[in-house]
Amino acid sequence: MRPINRRIFLKQGAVGLVAIGLPPAFLTRTLLAETRSIGRQKTVVFIFQRGAVDGLNMVVPFEEKAYYRVRRSIAVPQPSRGDGASAIDLDGFFGLHPSLRGLYDLYQEGGLAILHASGSPHPTRSHFDAQDFMESGTPGVKSTRDGWMNRLMTENACSCEGRTLADGAAHSADHASGQVGMAESSPLRGVAMGAEMPRALRGSYPTVAIADLERFGIAGGRSPELESVFERMYRSEEDDLIAGAASDSFEAIELIRRTDPLQYRPRAGVDYPRGDFGRSLQQIAQLIKADVGLEVAFTDIGGWDTHLAQGGAQGQLANRLAELGSGIRAFHDDLGDRIEDVVVVTMSEFGRTAAENGSGGTDHGHGNCMLILGGATAGGRVLGSWPGLEREQLYEGRDLAITTDFRDVFAEVVSGHLGAEKLERVFPGYRVDPSSFAGVLG
Amino acid sequence: MRTVADSSGDWQKGRRTLARTFAVSVILTILIILTALPAPAAWAQAPFREGAAADTTRALHLLRRATYGVRPQDLAEALDLGSEAWLDRQLSPERIDDSALEERLAIFPAVEMTVSELYEAYPPPQVVRARLGDPDSLSRDEMRRMRRELGIQSPSRILFDLAGAKLVRAVDSERQLEEVMTDFWFNHFNVFFAKGPDRWLIGDYEREAIRPYVFGEFEDMLIATASHPAMLVYLDNWQSQVPDSMNPRAGQQQRARSRFQNMSAREREVVLRMRGVPEEQIARIEEAMKRQSGRERGLNENYARELLELHTLGVDGGYTQDDVIEVARAFTGWTMQLPGRGGGSRANKGMSSDGGASAGEFVFRAEWHDPGEKTVMGRSLPAGRGIEDGLDVLRMLAVHPSTARHLVTKLVQAFVADDPPQALVDELTAVFLETRGDLREVTRALFTSERFYDPANIGGKLKTPFELVASALRVTGAEFGPSRGLGEQLRALDQIPYMSSPPTGYPAESEEWASGAALLQRMNLGLAMATGGIQNVRIPGSLSRQPVDRMLADLLPGSGTAALRDVIETEMRSDFAGLEGALAELRRGAGPNELALGLALGSPEFQHR
Repeated sequence: MRPINRRIFLKQGAVGLVAIGLPPAFLTRTLLAETRSIGRQKTVVFIFQRGAVDGLNMVVPFEEKAYYRVRRSIAVPQPSRGDGASAIDLDGFFGLHPSLRGLYDLYQEGGLAILHASGSPHPTRSHFDAQDFMESGTPGVKSTRDGWMNRLMTENACSCEGRTLADGAAHSADHASGQVGMAESSPLRGVAMGAEMPRALRGSYPTVAIADLERFGIAGGRSPELESVFERMYRSEEDDLIAGAASDSFEAIELIRRTDPLQYRPRAGVDYPRGDFGRSLQQIAQLIKADVGLEVAFTDIGGWDTHLAQGGAQGQLANRLAELGSGIRAFHDDLGDRIEDVVVVTMSEFGRTAAENGSGGTDHGHGNCMLILGGATAGGRVLGSWPGLEREQLYEGRDLAITTDFRDVFAEVVSGHLGAEKLERVFPGYRVDPSSFAGVLG
Repeated sequence: MRTVADSSGDWQKGRRTLARTFAVSVILTILIILTALPAPAAWAQAPFREGAAADTTRALHLLRRATYGVRPQDLAEALDLGSEAWLDRQLSPERIDDSALEERLAIFPAVEMTVSELYEAYPPPQVVRARLGDPDSLSRDEMRRMRRELGIQSPSRILFDLAGAKLVRAVDSERQLEEVMTDFWFNHFNVFFAKGPDRWLIGDYEREAIRPYVFGEFEDMLIATASHPAMLVYLDNWQSQVPDSMNPRAGQQQRARSRFQNMSAREREVVLRMRGVPEEQIARIEEAMKRQSGRERGLNENYARELLELHTLGVDGGYTQDDVIEVARAFTGWTMQLPGRGGGSRANKGMSSDGGASAGEFVFRAEWHDPGEKTVMGRSLPAGRGIEDGLDVLRMLAVHPSTARHLVTKLVQAFVADDPPQALVDELTAVFLETRGDLREVTRALFTSERFYDPANIGGKLKTPFELVASALRVTGAEFGPSRGLGEQLRALDQIPYMSSPPTGYPAESEEWASGAALLQRMNLGLAMATGGIQNVRIPGSLSRQPVDRMLADLLPGSGTAALRDVIETEMRSDFAGLEGALAELRRGAGPNELALGLALGSPEFQHR
């Protein structure tokens, strides 16, 4: 039997509960909603660097002799105080690309952890396959339909420990009495910023892709009247599937209208970089501040496929990193204390060749580097076991090897920060073993 | 012609065609009404005779599932011919004149080009850079400008043409069922535009491997897809080869080569110099080595797995992981000549007898093929053969009972109901097996089965986004041409043709398309289309200027639209009070009539088929 739409199930189940005299969760929610927002919620923000960032120049192993030997024209120089054109020393071995200097303070304060030599165990060097695997959460299995972040929400739909939907009435009553978290009832629990729904969030759990918060809704959000006409039309729809989905979307609109995330302008002095990436992060921050029940947020940033003239401390890659770093820094500063509720994780489908190619760039590789910051991040450290860059240490003689499976990083973050369970169903075919976690959350 | 070409005479011609079609349909409609009704005066109330009403219900259900949108003239035609005769005609598309469509497709030049022509006209960036000389000295902007001035198009432009053509076919082709089934089977054998060189191959794939077989033998389609370079690239089989360690043929030479491959670049350079190889050749060899090392060598199971799981038997079709490996071994050496890598390969051509393969053609490389014995689902494939191994596997799978059941279940899900009625699946599985996979007969059986016409199945499917866009253009008689706006709508609705990345293709189940955000997008699409908010799409004003019930009868002929009419009329009576904001946002001269049309196109009734 096909999995049924979770929220629709809740609603249809709820109708039955009314019949036996118990107020169902969503009705209670609607009542609560009249008076307040959903409440403070822990959030994980995933940033996908699509196109495979060159992790070896993002976080430079400046004590590796091989690094300078194989990257004659594109290596980032060893740290040398304050010139802005060399790596920023992190721990005597690794250095941050100078374009990421905005993140250095966070690292020093312990709010930023770096994980090197991580990624997917699958050997593919195809962008398409590798992105797909990182989003489906099943490396090597192409027919997985839903994304792992969607399964995460399906499998952890409410915070009632040990409870399943089958527990029915008592379960629902707990929600109704407000004793347990309401995360599952937010129509904005999983949000992707962008016109397209990324693979990671696709699946049977209803998630929302928002191209621009300012224009979300009917007719660019400019016409509540027209919305109510459509709402009336769809409310009388006999097809439960459609009626349920429509009510999801009108609820999302309503929630955004009521909590008005757009009222939260960036804090004084916070400057998001111009462009889609900066705007996406700003709007995610607005949703978090408006307490709409956002639990998983997703955004991406492209331009990393630097086969040609990628540059070293300056140049093409440096410019992309500057946008990434200033965006994340702005997001961090904008959130203020609320960063305690948030963990940001960067990912990219694979790394790039250890050696530069014949055109001053790098080709598709294997292991890569991830940034983790915010919340309970055990930062100020470069984590992961470093495999080295000598020829015999490289994967297939050419790429950084992988010592941490990306699923271990994701599993650690979502279990540690969101309290997610049933990870074996979030990452089917993989045995999640906390003893192999890198310790990004301490 | 429905193009909105600003200056050309095409547009004029289009209006004439449209006018002619309209006139014909009016006459047809009147004729049918006259024959079907006892008294002409009664037709406004539409009290059909019982038989006629049942005919209408059946014809309408058939048309809603077997076409991209029912216009009043379509219903009239089907009633006139009778459902079975209509279906008969559609099942032999070669007998339906579609010359007007061919003319219309000329606005999408990429559609009729060969793979080599496409590669030439829409070259990849590195080829452009090579042509333009020193790439590092050119900025991105300069590159773009030079491209424009030299008339070099970006490969992404191919997608624009292919998707545009697909939409034009869906809207305007007289061979509606062929279009619908081409979409179904393409999706079944999905490949992805953006995977490697597939952008230059995918048009050829649909034209050569899918379309010719939608009413042919399934086996032929299976072999055509298996050997098409687009599939070989998409599921990686083109790189699958017998690992050296397992290859009894791997002799001295191959071992020497692999030793050479394991040297460092510097070591290789020294060796080659010692042997007196000229400098420029050393550089070329090094380049080739680099390309090689980026490639995964050895057996690749990807195609084999999807062949069994998705294309034929189905996930519970009775095969094991061992079978996957055996099938992968059978397909080693099924590869291709990459576009842009010149012609004249040393490899043997397996499937055609003419000389060297040219860019983007299938090649069977005997030296990559695993010659050992294989056992696939209990059946032994003897040692020492070549391409026959793969062909035998395909022939066996094509008529396997699990394949029949799997394919039929998918057909029923797409055309009847998300939860496929078992009895119908059984009925069609029997037809598939009796006819050994004759898709014309299976399709005929599907659309003539009494179980297809079960009232429980009527009107319950949600249109996919592509079906929605196509049907909206079709039933409104919209004039449209190449349009980025339509592309953006399809992107926002999450179904750009040829852009489904997983091998499962786009889902056919309604539920997959029914998320809340997607529904909002559908409502916005209706409004945008009706109010002229999509570039290069224009709906004739005559449609929305009619009284609401007439307009709805044009959009949803034969359907019950009373509730919808009430909602829209209520709004119109209140003069759309409070909707000034929406009108201002939406557009530019749009009035209540357009808004009413937008509400109708965004209505739940219009989302179903």
